[in-house]
Amino acid sequence: MKLYIKISLFVVLVVAVSGFLYALMLYNQKHTDTAKAKPDFVITSTVLQKEFEDNEKAASSKYINKILEVTGNILSVTPVDSAKTNISLNTGNNVSSVICTFPVLDHSKIKIGEEITLRGECSGFTQLFPGEPPLDVLINNCSKVPKR
Amino acid sequence: MKRLFLLMFFLNILFAVNAQKYITKNGYIGFYSHTSMEDIKGDNNQVVGALDISTGELVFQALIKSFHFDRALMEEHFNENYMESDKIPKSVFKGKITNLSAVDFSKSGTYDITVEGDLTIHDVTNKISTKGTIEVVSGGINANSKFKIVPEDYKVTIPGVVRDKVDKTVEVTVTMKYTPMTTK
Repeated sequence: MKLYIKISLFVVLVVAVSGFLYALMLYNQKHTDTAKAKPDFVITSTVLQKEFEDNEKAASSKYINKILEVTGNILSVTPVDSAKTNISLNTGNNVSSVICTFPVLDHSKIKIGEEITLRGECSGFTQLFPGEPPLDVLINNCSKVPKR
Repeated sequence: MKRLFLLMFFLNILFAVNAQKYITKNGYIGFYSHTSMEDIKGDNNQVVGALDISTGELVFQALIKSFHFDRALMEEHFNENYMESDKIPKSVFKGKITNLSAVDFSKSGTYDITVEGDLTIHDVTNKISTKGTIEVVSGGINANSKFKIVPEDYKVTIPGVVRDKVDKTVEVTVTMKYTPMTTK
């Protein structure tokens, strides 16, 4: 076999294998580990909710898809399925809150009324009746940040 | 004194109205579709919903970015290619229980209901009608429903390469646990 045929066959093979491995890697890609990720913003639940209420457009482009480290007081703890838990954070305005979904959570150290710091990805906000409260900010893929 | 009575009177009306309204912020909407390659399943546990037991009116709102998939790549494709969630962040349902008289909200039990209304996904609104149940429990009301939708009805286009592998219909599950709306 001529050398150039051998070389081109080898190149084709390398491209095919790396292409396949790359596709496999993409396919099996994991979700961002928020416990290890560096936050884009460090903020309190009160300020975060207020920014969305004051200007939802500006807050949306600032925070959505970003990793936030949020500190707030726990308003309620709701197990939503066998593993996941929602924690609502107080925003000081009685009806609106910051709702955070944890894929897994150790409940033993979670107490209503206590302060928690968590890291997660901001998904946006929901507002059932446009122009009226409640307006809730949603955080997904949360992990608890240990007290420093 | 007169003012105080007036204030109390209006507060009373406010409470009386709100006593009819039940809400949740931790509602569940999930969808499931079977394909020859693998099953597609998305879960959203951050659905807000309200039920007015005096009129039977129901409203849900789900943020597209709050749907979670086991595979990160699937979640990315769902948001970017299919639902365009940066442009169209929400899906909404507004409807009514059509057989409200069949439900006794004062008595614990499970009641069969029919719900009709407008479902808006991907900025396209379609009328839907589905069966479900209302479960009256102590301290709240649960609502459950399962129905099928066709993504193409909502202009959600599935690219040619994967089209044959994706089932034409998607099964949607709704589970809400409402509590009375309170004004503090």
